[in-house]
Amino acid sequence: MSQTPDHSSTPIHSEFASDPDMIELVDLFVSELPDRIDQMTQAFESQQFTDLKRLMHQLRGASGGYGFPTIGISAGFVESLLSESTDLSAQVEDIDSQLQELISLCRRASSS
Amino acid sequence: MAGKKLEFVERCMNVLNDHKGQSQPTLLLVDDSIDVHRLIKARFRNSEMTLISAHGGREGIKMAKEHLPTLILLDLDMPEVDGLEVLRTLREDLTTRNIPVIVLSGLVSTQDKVTAFDLDAYDYVTKPFDLVELRARIRAALKTQRLLTMLTERARLDGLTGLWNRAYFDERLAEEISGAVRHGRALSVVMLDLDHFKSVNDSFGHPAGDAVLERFASIIKAQCRKTDIACRYGGEEFSLIMPDTGPEDAKAVLDRVRTALEQIRWPMHPERNVTVSIGVAGCTQCRGDVSAKDWVHVADKNLYKAKESGRNRVVISEVDSDGEPKLAAAG
Repeated sequence: MSQTPDHSSTPIHSEFASDPDMIELVDLFVSELPDRIDQMTQAFESQQFTDLKRLMHQLRGASGGYGFPTIGISAGFVESLLSESTDLSAQVEDIDSQLQELISLCRRASSS
Repeated sequence: MAGKKLEFVERCMNVLNDHKGQSQPTLLLVDDSIDVHRLIKARFRNSEMTLISAHGGREGIKMAKEHLPTLILLDLDMPEVDGLEVLRTLREDLTTRNIPVIVLSGLVSTQDKVTAFDLDAYDYVTKPFDLVELRARIRAALKTQRLLTMLTERARLDGLTGLWNRAYFDERLAEEISGAVRHGRALSVVMLDLDHFKSVNDSFGHPAGDAVLERFASIIKAQCRKTDIACRYGGEEFSLIMPDTGPEDAKAVLDRVRTALEQIRWPMHPERNVTVSIGVAGCTQCRGDVSAKDWVHVADKNLYKAKESGRNRVVISEVDSDGEPKLAAAG
């Protein structure tokens, strides 16, 4: 499995970081990201592509709402890769590299 | 006139607020994503809406039927029962059929959108969505729904008297009859006709005639229960559906209506009082298969007998008895 290095370690801040309605939720979202990363890694490694697709779908739908549209777009890429092909085993490498990009974005997300 | 208009507006407002007796709109969110629930909850924290949540299709259907929300936000892509199936089920149920639904979905195929709109979705918002925009769309949907309700209501009201109109009478009569028969309950259907009304119009002018119609409508409203359905049947003819009321009880109420009208001294024609003849078809424990048309026919027949026997009286009969209608004593 390839390990894409972080191209940047610059933190990504939520667009809603200063919105009083949202601060708490943004914190919660960021604090749960490590769990999400674990879940997607696990789903990918055990080739549970249906589960992985669902996780991507949810992340794509939700990230923008928490003020992290880039994470949403990245999750959307993985989701569309998973939707396009019936023979996913042939696409594992592509999926992996997109997924690693997503994971690195998630790690950069910062609540403060 | 101003009073009547006010009353009309009040009635419309009551109907609007009557949506399960709550003036604050209720929003049902049906989505399997916990994130969507959190985000929408946060954005609606300070809004004038009550937000209730369902986390799957089955729960969504159940809550929609239970709470009859003002508006539903519905995700399409859910495991087990998906959004389109929820929409289909809601549209099949009379109580939920007209609740506006805004579809929220990450699915962007044209076919899904078309299917959703064919199932009368009000709007379609693709995820990820902008919550500020969503709020604006919800406001627009609620406004349209309010106007629609008011228009529907208006089409069922008589403009002069504010009573229900003939179309609404026909609609409700069939329902009330089948309800009474199903539960073996009492029911009375009443036809009321102002005596020699044409001569009021001819001698004192149409404004005088209109004043009589309006005043008579307000007497009916004052004497009847809230559950009674009072209608202007047409011209100087009025009708009443009185659920849970047998013909004898109906007669007691209607004699009060009759007496109240008779005693009025009319500003435009103090020398000429106005009376009403009334025919009642009723049953104390309804059963059997009598059509709405036959109910009205029996009430009409009794009204005719009231006219024939001297006017200003109430004639009642059991709708499913074979006997001759009883002639009530004139007041």
